[in-house]
Amino acid sequence: MSSTSTKIDRPAQTTDFLSGNEMASLAASHVNYHVMGYYPITPSTEVAEYLNEMGANGKHNVNMVPGDGEHGAAGICYGASTAGGRVFNATSANGFLFSIEQLPVQSGTRYPMVLNLVCRSVSGPLDIRGDHSDLISSLDLGWIVLTAKDPQAVYDMVILANKIGEAEDVRLPVIVADDGFFTSHQKRRVRIFEDRQVVEDFLGPFKPMNVSIDPNNPITIGPYMNDPDQINNKKQLSLAMSAAESVIPKVFEEYEKISGRKYSVIETYKMDDAECAIFIVNSAADTVMDVVDRLRANGKKVGCIYPTVIRPFPAGLIRSACKKVKSLLVADRADSYGGNGGRLSTEIKAALKDDPQNKTMVISRIYGLGGKDFFAEDAEELFKLTFQAVSDGKVEIPYDYIGTSPGDPNHKFVKGTESLSKEIQSPGILTVYKDEDKGCVEVKGVKARALTAMPDRITAGHGACPGCGIFPSISTFLKGIEGFVVMLWHTGCGMVVTTGYPNTSFAVTYIHNLFQNGAATLSGVVEMYKERQRRGEIPGDQEITFVMVTGDGGLDIGLGPALGTAFRNHNLIILEYDNHGYMNTGHQLSFTTPIGHATSTSNVGSVGRGKTFNHKDSAQLFASCHIPYVFTGSETHYKDLIRKAAKAQYFVRNEGLVFGKLFSDCPLNWRHADHNGHEVIRAGVDCNFFPIYEVEKGFTTLNYNPDDKGNKIPVHDWLKLMGKTKHLTKPENKDILDAFQTEVDRRFAKIKAMSEHPDL
Amino acid sequence: MTDLPITNEMGFYEIRMESIGGFGANLAGKILGEAGILGMGFNGSNFSSYGSEKKGSPVKSFIRFCDANTTVRVNSPVTEPHMLVIFLETILDTPGLLSGTGNDTIVIINSASSPSEARDKMKLQCGTIVTVDAMKIAVEEKTRVNTALLGTVAAASGFIDPESIKDYIRKNLGKKYSFLIEPNLKTFERGLKEYQSQFFEDDGKYPAQPFKRDGQKLGYMNQPMGGVILTPGTTIHKDLTASRSGYIPVLLKDKCTSCGECDIVCPDYCFDWSRGIDKKGREGQILNKINYEHCKGCLRCIEICKFNSLISRVEYETDNKVLEVGYSTSELV
Repeated sequence: MSSTSTKIDRPAQTTDFLSGNEMASLAASHVNYHVMGYYPITPSTEVAEYLNEMGANGKHNVNMVPGDGEHGAAGICYGASTAGGRVFNATSANGFLFSIEQLPVQSGTRYPMVLNLVCRSVSGPLDIRGDHSDLISSLDLGWIVLTAKDPQAVYDMVILANKIGEAEDVRLPVIVADDGFFTSHQKRRVRIFEDRQVVEDFLGPFKPMNVSIDPNNPITIGPYMNDPDQINNKKQLSLAMSAAESVIPKVFEEYEKISGRKYSVIETYKMDDAECAIFIVNSAADTVMDVVDRLRANGKKVGCIYPTVIRPFPAGLIRSACKKVKSLLVADRADSYGGNGGRLSTEIKAALKDDPQNKTMVISRIYGLGGKDFFAEDAEELFKLTFQAVSDGKVEIPYDYIGTSPGDPNHKFVKGTESLSKEIQSPGILTVYKDEDKGCVEVKGVKARALTAMPDRITAGHGACPGCGIFPSISTFLKGIEGFVVMLWHTGCGMVVTTGYPNTSFAVTYIHNLFQNGAATLSGVVEMYKERQRRGEIPGDQEITFVMVTGDGGLDIGLGPALGTAFRNHNLIILEYDNHGYMNTGHQLSFTTPIGHATSTSNVGSVGRGKTFNHKDSAQLFASCHIPYVFTGSETHYKDLIRKAAKAQYFVRNEGLVFGKLFSDCPLNWRHADHNGHEVIRAGVDCNFFPIYEVEKGFTTLNYNPDDKGNKIPVHDWLKLMGKTKHLTKPENKDILDAFQTEVDRRFAKIKAMSEHPDL
Repeated sequence: MTDLPITNEMGFYEIRMESIGGFGANLAGKILGEAGILGMGFNGSNFSSYGSEKKGSPVKSFIRFCDANTTVRVNSPVTEPHMLVIFLETILDTPGLLSGTGNDTIVIINSASSPSEARDKMKLQCGTIVTVDAMKIAVEEKTRVNTALLGTVAAASGFIDPESIKDYIRKNLGKKYSFLIEPNLKTFERGLKEYQSQFFEDDGKYPAQPFKRDGQKLGYMNQPMGGVILTPGTTIHKDLTASRSGYIPVLLKDKCTSCGECDIVCPDYCFDWSRGIDKKGREGQILNKINYEHCKGCLRCIEICKFNSLISRVEYETDNKVLEVGYSTSELV
């Protein structure tokens, strides 16, 4: 991108200092998309957050729909795009991969939309920083892929993408990819249109095609299409990509007229006489250009090529740019494992092969995986490889990594905690028995003091915020579980703060899987354990209690597999610590966030009044699965919680699946002091928002009724304790407060009735 | 337009801020960047280092300024800062904190010490050391240390216009936090004045701390396969003292009944128990002490204790002995 110098009358622009994510959300507000379907994932989360905040203050009309996960978000986007308007989404890494099954549907049925892919390393192990391992998975989906190397380009491309994808002979969805953190979280000096109307005028009104909501013109979208027809549908898609090749430069040209910013499909930097060059995508191209200047100052004929479009792949332009290049290093920020070269290096080799005159030697290097910084020194090292190839007349090592470390051979692993024997983990304080008269399981001996003898399965030194409610919730529960424990934790604050490599807070075996799928994963663990016991490979009398820990977020995106696990009734415990939001990514709304609560995606402003719909009741969902035991609990009622843990162990041993929902606070995002989690949680229980009860073999028992103790308070008195709900106590929000009170009372009355009537 | 007093070979004046989550380094970097770029007309960039930022975990913020017409391309962190801002003394042990400092570096540290005392605490080879008791200012003004440090940044830099920073303090606090504007401006003004500065030559007292990129202990030759961690419970060796923000719980042992409720509410596994004989001569679990290296000072335990045997104290006013042994008696407090 370069700025044109001639003065022409252009729409007014202002200068600002903004990050890639801020620019993506600004562009989205200027495009004024009809619908955004989204699901938060670092580092793209802020796009939805900023857009929501602007919306809460009346700055645009984008209808933002939170998905139940990225797969759901992609579905929302698909549906919205068939209904005839502009659609936007933003995602990253495994979120992108989770949605990927939907993306060829979008392109194959030819509905344009724009997806901002804020590139991040794909797990596992989990890594939140920026590389292109998600981006390379975008190449075969039938989507146009634009790349934006800096915040300015993010803004421009999110606007341009619409005009490209919506072109009559294109009609394809478009990805705008920028680098997670390097671009998404870096503020640069930028230019933006003062009046969003400029953007709307540039794009023109959306021209719907094949609309799903026109009853006067009934159509069938997505038929059952086998051979011989499908191949022709794909040929059409391929032709659309070819059409995009000619549309894109024209759109870039039109945009230059209003913005003064000129983009080319292939950007070349000092390539006119370059003998050695680096091809590189996005932010690292900046670094390479700096080094080109440095080497040019020393008389080296070097240059840099970076694309702004990688689908359709600009093979012809790359061939032209490389005509005189003796040695080209293609640096990929992702590996195509086993492919003997980064994905773009093999595509470039293929492109050059089509020019019989071309003699360019191509070197593939993988750099910057997992967000490892790319310094000028790295670029210099890469140029050295190109110089070497020229002087050798060949490429010695065609494919390798740079920036790896072998490690110190003398490194000794530091021991942490002693391994916990079965005996140490079985202090025998609790007695669990089946009361045959009452027909239920009873527990004796819950005493906080005696139970301090239970060793910590999670140890000190984790990095949670001061006053975090997760650990008291989970550890109080674990005080009631005797013997060996294996835990699986979903992605979330709890896992991130305990297992920062190379350290772990877990004194027992722990597995992480992404929160789409933890319950299914633990099902597999349990079944393999049982199968190996059946086959005599491990002792049949050895007992392990399998516990899965999830936040409320993991029970949004991972609800399907968790319900599947419940239907199959595996011998495992699912524990949900519910703190009403996606705290690990910065407090976006979850489906358990109560109505009216302010989160970073349900902002309060001149128009916004917090979350617009009621909270999910996960305990009742699992009760409906007819599993042996469902309970709710809280550390404030710790005796009850430990009793329930012991019962859970009884049921998991003898009957099958247990689901427990724990009410857990987050002082940082609920905005209350670090020390008063108990006061806040207790108020949440005493206002009947969080009924403490259990459902044992289908029979509900309300374990604590605030009314009986004279502790009952209105929801107002709970909400006033938290910064995130203070606005609900103001007169202008009385309608929300009243509606919430009514909903809380209705739900509590139902649980109470179920407790009183065994038939319910 | 103001000129930058010094730049690196790429034309940048570079600032690195070192802090932990909750002290406002990210916002300080943003305000400083906006003040320089939007307010004063430089070009430049600003970003923060991101791991998983929880309150109490390390945060770095980077700010670069260059001439208005220079293109900004660099994306990597600031490795050789012209100005290093250290938000609290308790993070001085963080590896690489001072890396890349030299004769031309201005090191600003939130500390009640004199520059020469601070130099010994930091073991800094050379450069200009500027100390400001930002914590004291913040406590007195009921603000955070970040705006006090911004005042000192403006004063020590010699080129950053205080009025521009004040503008962007106002803009960032905006309508939502308008009640915080006046106290923060006052905090800023105090940071602008209440500092001490001294230049130290390399007198051989402390070695240089050049920036090193690599030298990781674990690499592809010795990382256990698949990223698996084979040693359980290793975070137990971590010291989380830096996460505290001024207060600690103190255990009054003579009042404690070892009821066990503090153990329920503590998020950080700080209470040390063993089997023993209690005051009534009965065998049972006894609360020995608080492990302060793991305590983040949330004070949840104070709230739950029915016997007033856990009390809240200002950390720097507390006898060091209490922190060493992990408990106190009523007389000591």
